[in-house]
Amino acid sequence: MSTRNEKYVFEGSERELSSMTKDLEEFHNDVGLSSMWSGVSSMVDTLRDSESVTRSTSRRTFLMGTGAAMVGGAALVAIGATPGLAAATTRAESRLHLTGATTFPPAGYSGDLAVAAVAASLENLAVFAYNAGLTAATAGKLGAVPAAVGTFAATAKSQHTQHAAAWNAVLRQNGKKAITETNPTLTPTIQADFAKVGNVTQLAQLALALESVAAATYQAETSKLKSTAAIGLSASIEPVEMQHIAILYYVLGMYPGSQTSAGTPLAFSTTSAAA
Amino acid sequence: MTADPRALTELLEQSHDLQADALRPTHDALDELVELSHLPADDDPASNLSFHEEHQRSLRSSLGGAAVLGAAGGAALVGLLASPAFAGSSKDIQILQTARSIENLAISTYKTALTLPYIGGSSANPVITKFCQVTMGQHVQHDDAFTAAIKSLHGQQQNAADPAFVPVVKNAVAGLSGATASEGALGVVGLALELENIAAETYVKDTTLVSSTTNRALFASIMGIEAQHAAVLLAVQALLKADAPQLISLSEPATVEALPAAAGSVGFPNAFYKTNSAAPPKQGAVK
Repeated sequence: MSTRNEKYVFEGSERELSSMTKDLEEFHNDVGLSSMWSGVSSMVDTLRDSESVTRSTSRRTFLMGTGAAMVGGAALVAIGATPGLAAATTRAESRLHLTGATTFPPAGYSGDLAVAAVAASLENLAVFAYNAGLTAATAGKLGAVPAAVGTFAATAKSQHTQHAAAWNAVLRQNGKKAITETNPTLTPTIQADFAKVGNVTQLAQLALALESVAAATYQAETSKLKSTAAIGLSASIEPVEMQHIAILYYVLGMYPGSQTSAGTPLAFSTTSAAA
Repeated sequence: MTADPRALTELLEQSHDLQADALRPTHDALDELVELSHLPADDDPASNLSFHEEHQRSLRSSLGGAAVLGAAGGAALVGLLASPAFAGSSKDIQILQTARSIENLAISTYKTALTLPYIGGSSANPVITKFCQVTMGQHVQHDDAFTAAIKSLHGQQQNAADPAFVPVVKNAVAGLSGATASEGALGVVGLALELENIAAETYVKDTTLVSSTTNRALFASIMGIEAQHAAVLLAVQALLKADAPQLISLSEPATVEALPAAAGSVGFPNAFYKTNSAAPPKQGAVK
């Protein structure tokens, strides 16, 4: 059995892998995103029907709304009061207000739209956590950061941003304000945990916890949502969070798949960690 | 090493017991399936044909020039694939039968692959071997869960593989000889990746098609596991293509520094899981 301790010099392999990733990303942009937008657009229509929202929405205006949400996702939220994650807040992020929500989802968000709000808040928290981790890594606070870990964090952050944008697009198009705060229930815990992160392994463990909550939440909500389109959106995101989990386990040197605390691989994912 | 999937399942550290919580909701609510499943079945011949043709092309492509599965253990797979019997009954039952047909194919493929020296033998990468063993065992558990769901609906069991893939896999089996170990490993990984993506995409889609929330919960509990299989296979495939099989290892976290940057993201290429390769609901249904 080979080990990663053996010295290995890549000559062309990195380029080849990068090329593969680029190809996949282009394919994703060509096919995956367009199909996603189509799916979310359908979800918007379905939710509007179920919520009796009468405001007309063309695909064009929907996409404009989605784009706005996407930009908003990149310049997130809202944890200002405490150190830890807040310390990593960028200038753009600090422009945004701290919501300090006492009830969540906010009043007026019911049914599937309440689920969308919770999902957006979880995605916001993931984006914020990855951003904080990347910021800390750049500042040299985590020691040496392997290249693969940096790529993982940047890509996962990007995907969580897209997830948040999709849910917020649904909310906007149904007459609700986009959710720009991080999940108020989990944020204190994640903040406290992030304050203890001092190296890449601990960061990966924190990311694993967050991804596990997200995946479990989507799995649980997939069974509870009413709108077929919402079910489809939730179901299209859960496997991606699960893939993040698999790679995080691999990064941690563990079996690359969902498992018990004792390390036994699981054939069925669970909802015990759901938000 | 055993190539018997059911014996292997027993060796997986009593994972059935450990997953009791995950399965309990399914078993507790199976009665609901009976009530909710008796709905008209959709039939979409055009969709089925399109899917069939698309996956014949796709699988041919994934197999590439590497003739992989054939020489070792191909007979068992061919036997499974030769089984007829497809299409008919309520929609939920058909969806579950199709799911079983996919699981049957996956189990058989991994079982066959594990008989190959570069997958399950002494020359194989131990991480790949363990992954194939564990994954095969998990597919057996998925198959058991789908079997139980069909049984609760008094549906006919589907014990054959998905017919859409029969000609392609048969061709692969027929062309096996001559592959080197590295070509063979890459070919097996490519085939397994294709099957895992089909399974994951099908189950994602099925969450929107089944009529019972219990069935939806069952598919939701499996789709992510198949997606994880695909993620691992994508990473393994990339490292094999990069001629870096020695980096396919599980050791202490610090050694992750040897991985190339792209290895950190190659396992999850899409922010939203696609469903364009999902099997139509009736494709693997019993006639």
